[in-house]
Amino acid sequence: MTFKLTSGILLASAALALAAGPAQAATQGTMGSTSTGSVAISASVPGRVEISGLSDVSFTNQDPSTAASSAQNVCVWSNTSTRGYNVTATGSGTGNAFTLANGAQTVGYNVEWAGSTGQSSGTALASGTALTGLTSTATTAGCTAGPATTASLIVKIPTTNLQSMQAALSYTGTLTLVVAPE
Amino acid sequence: MAPLRSATARTPSPRRFAGFRRCWLLARIGAGLALASLASSGVLAADKARITGLSDVAFGTLANLSADSVQSQNVCIFSSSSTNGYNVQAIGSGSGGAFTLASGSNVLGYDVEWNSASGQSSGTLLSPNVALTGQVSSATQQTCNSGPASSASLIIVLRAAKLSSATAGSYSGTLTLVVAPE
Repeated sequence: MTFKLTSGILLASAALALAAGPAQAATQGTMGSTSTGSVAISASVPGRVEISGLSDVSFTNQDPSTAASSAQNVCVWSNTSTRGYNVTATGSGTGNAFTLANGAQTVGYNVEWAGSTGQSSGTALASGTALTGLTSTATTAGCTAGPATTASLIVKIPTTNLQSMQAALSYTGTLTLVVAPE
Repeated sequence: MAPLRSATARTPSPRRFAGFRRCWLLARIGAGLALASLASSGVLAADKARITGLSDVAFGTLANLSADSVQSQNVCIFSSSSTNGYNVQAIGSGSGGAFTLASGSNVLGYDVEWNSASGQSSGTLLSPNVALTGQVSSATQQTCNSGPASSASLIIVLRAAKLSSATAGSYSGTLTLVVAPE
C-alpha cells in the first residue's frame, strides 16, 4: 500500500500597516560660511510573516496496524513586536478537508502544529480555523540567521483510516498552510 | 673745537634705539592683526554657501520588504567661491548622528547618498558627520530662482537587508545637512 501526501507552501502576509507621517517640515538653509537644512524622514514597516522550509510528506508501504506520523521542522518568521503569528491549514478534500484521494476513494489525515521545533505532536488543527497565539523565534525571514527552524508540522494517519485504504493504491493530496502576523 | 660733542648728540643711545625698534615691531604686529580682523569679518568677501529646496521624505507603507526603497530629491546648493565648490555633511537623528529612524525602541537604519548633479537616483555614500568634499555646484543664484532649478541630488535608501529584519511599526527621524564653501 502506497500513498503520498503533498504539502504545499504558501506565503501569507497581513498588513498591520501603521501610517507614518513626517515628524516635522523640512527646513532650508541660509547664506553663510556654512548653511544647514534638514528633512524629516518617515517610513512604515507593515506586519509580515513568512513560512518556509516545508517538505513534501510521503508515507510509503505503511503498515495499516501502525499509525503513520511524519513530523518536520519549518521556519515561521514574524516581524511584529511580539513575533506573534497564527496558522491556518486547509486540505485539498471536499470543503478543504484534510483528505488524500485516489479517484473517488479518500482517506482522512490529521494535522498538528507545535510552536517549537523537534516536536512529534502538537495542537490539532481544524481545516480553515486559525491556531492563534503562536510566537516565533526566527530573527530573519527564511531563518537565514538565528534558529534554523522555529515550529513543527506533524501529519498523522490513524490506524482506523489506514485500514480503510485499498492496498497498492497511491493516495495524494495537498495541505496548504497560511500564516499571518499577530 | 668740539666736533665730537655734536656727533655724539646726533647718535641715539643704545637704550633709545631699542625702544624705537619695539615701537616699530608693535606697529607691524598691529597692522597684521587689523588685516586678519578685516578678513575674518567678511569685508574681504569670505565665501559662503546655501542649501535650499529640501523636502521631507515619506516612504509611506513599504509593501515589499525584500527590495531596497529609494527616495531621491533635487536640491539647490549655491557656493560663492571662485570654483563654486562646496562640501556637504549629513547628520542623522540616531545616536551619535547615526542614520537611523526610530519607532519606540526599535531602529531602522538607512543610507544617505549625495550626487552633485540633479535628477540622480544614486550617488556617493555619506557617513554620518563626515564631510563629502570636492563638490561643485552649477547654481548661479543662491536659491536657484534663476539658472538651474536645482544643482544636486539627495538620495535616501532603505536597504532590503534591514527592512526584512525590521520590526513592524511607524518609523521617523531627521536628517540634517550642512554645506560649506570650498
